[in-house]
Amino acid sequence: MSKLILRRIILAIGLIIVASALTFSIIAAAPGNVAALIAERKAGPSASAELVQQIAEELGLNDPLPMRYGRWFSDAIRGDLGDSLRTGKSIDQEFSERIPITAILLGGGGIIAFVMSLGIGLLGAVSNGRTVDHLLRAFALIGASTPNFFVAALLVIVFSVSLGWLPAFGGGSFVSWIMPCVTIALFPGSVLSRVVRVNLQEIMSRPFATTGFAKGYSRSSVLIYEALPNIAVPYLTTFGAQFTLMIIGSIVVETVFALNGIGAFFIEAIRFRDFISMQATLLLFIVFFVFVNLFVDIVCLFIDPRIRRETHG
Amino acid sequence: MDKSTFNKTFNAAAKWPWLVLTPVLVFIAIAIFSPWITPYDPVVQDYSVTLEGPSAAHWLGTDYLGRDMLSRLISGVRVSLFAMSIVLIAALFIGVIIGSFAGYVGGKIELVLISIIDIVLSLPSLIFALAIIGVIGPGYWSMIMALTMAWWANYARMSRAVVISELHQPYIEAARVMGSGHLHIFFRHILPHVLSLVIVYASADAGALVLAIATLSFLGLGVEPPTPEWGQMLVDGMSYLEEYPRLVILPGIALTLVVVSFNLLGEQFALQKVPRALRGYKLKRKKRQRQLEEDIILDGKVDQ
Repeated sequence: MSKLILRRIILAIGLIIVASALTFSIIAAAPGNVAALIAERKAGPSASAELVQQIAEELGLNDPLPMRYGRWFSDAIRGDLGDSLRTGKSIDQEFSERIPITAILLGGGGIIAFVMSLGIGLLGAVSNGRTVDHLLRAFALIGASTPNFFVAALLVIVFSVSLGWLPAFGGGSFVSWIMPCVTIALFPGSVLSRVVRVNLQEIMSRPFATTGFAKGYSRSSVLIYEALPNIAVPYLTTFGAQFTLMIIGSIVVETVFALNGIGAFFIEAIRFRDFISMQATLLLFIVFFVFVNLFVDIVCLFIDPRIRRETHG
Repeated sequence: MDKSTFNKTFNAAAKWPWLVLTPVLVFIAIAIFSPWITPYDPVVQDYSVTLEGPSAAHWLGTDYLGRDMLSRLISGVRVSLFAMSIVLIAALFIGVIIGSFAGYVGGKIELVLISIIDIVLSLPSLIFALAIIGVIGPGYWSMIMALTMAWWANYARMSRAVVISELHQPYIEAARVMGSGHLHIFFRHILPHVLSLVIVYASADAGALVLAIATLSFLGLGVEPPTPEWGQMLVDGMSYLEEYPRLVILPGIALTLVVVSFNLLGEQFALQKVPRALRGYKLKRKKRQRQLEEDIILDGKVDQ
């Protein structure tokens, strides 16, 4: 077991290195190189070719790509991600200010998506085939099809403009987080509720469910005590995938609600062609994706002995 | 409650699954005929009628530059579906070529290609597309290129899986014994299987792509003004959210309707036989891969 986990961890670290090397080389291929951009910011548009050359030399931009990647990655491990070309602040500082905001957003959104998907999925399974089931299915379809910026706009129109209950900008008190977190949770919550519903339906046709009925349990108690634990693995796997996709949601939601998180930082870096910040943020994203998946893998290993046996053989 | 008309509608949908094609076909028709059915030119500004509510002349009112909302929404169908089709066709083309090539030749080339595919897929598509836009700069064709580069890997992985499973069918063996060349076997026997499965998957993927295009345009990195695109119309309307929520709600509803119709189609496909076969390919991939590797060891090479 510990050997298996160790192997997963090594694979995960390998994936981080390879994926960040890919994004690094894509950004390094950018037309209009970093040195020219820095020189332009220092000396204005009339920056001389010598200055550009000098900056390129200082940053080691003339070295071959693998060497530059190696240096950048080893600096990054030691916590030095360079300075933002846009703000001039060190990226470590930017990250330490911004990560908590995105973490609250993803954490709150994750909890809402979890509760929402289990609630809708179970309710659908209990009212199997009846009107409520169809209505919930329609709701999940619409929830998974509505762009999150439109959800955000609708929430603002209803709860801020019309009713005046919630502030239109996030980042302050507890109530200001409600709309951003609900917005970001609607898409994953809808997708996951389908996962719960469809898997429960499949499980309920298994012999052990019939045994449960024969013993005289009600449909709801068979669902909750016998079927629900069985969907844990597919649910967790999809939850992990949806949780990583919430990063995309965070980019949009932070833009709409004027939150200064990582998503907003990434989009600003793209708009200003701040390559150093882009690289650093992509590395952060990759680490996040890989670790969420690793965590889900390991949890699944613990809860389902069948997976342990499969991966051994 | 059980015999409500609502339920009847659902039962009808279950009886004739191809009914779900209707909304998609309607939107495609609107996209094709939009230049002839818009009451006004969607980009012409008329300062005498800015921010007017719905009226007989402007059924859905006008925006802050006096442009007719209905015309802009109708043209938006064309813009979205056109961009989506280009990306889908380009990504399919690249994905099928790379994926089937990897599956067909096998060996080290396959290993390299499948590693690239897996690395691209380890990042969410939209994040990858954003990174590419960051490098090549924003704009319409940048968006098309970035989305294509982010989307092909899915189709490549799928094509490879189909090719590997088809290669081991007896009829391919028979064709080879009869002296068919590689190109003949590939184009005549394997490619049709790949295409039939990948195209089904792609049509289910169209909704996600429409959303991605709207999201990039909303972020100001995709379709640029004055071209009427819903995501961009929506972000334009955000400044008038308090007094004129219509400017935000209308493009949002249009966008959601299109995505719902495509996702409805995708859900229907997921219930049909074809994607079940796809899921089978995915599950059996590892097993088939092992079998393929054994064959490589036994025969020296799979073919060539």
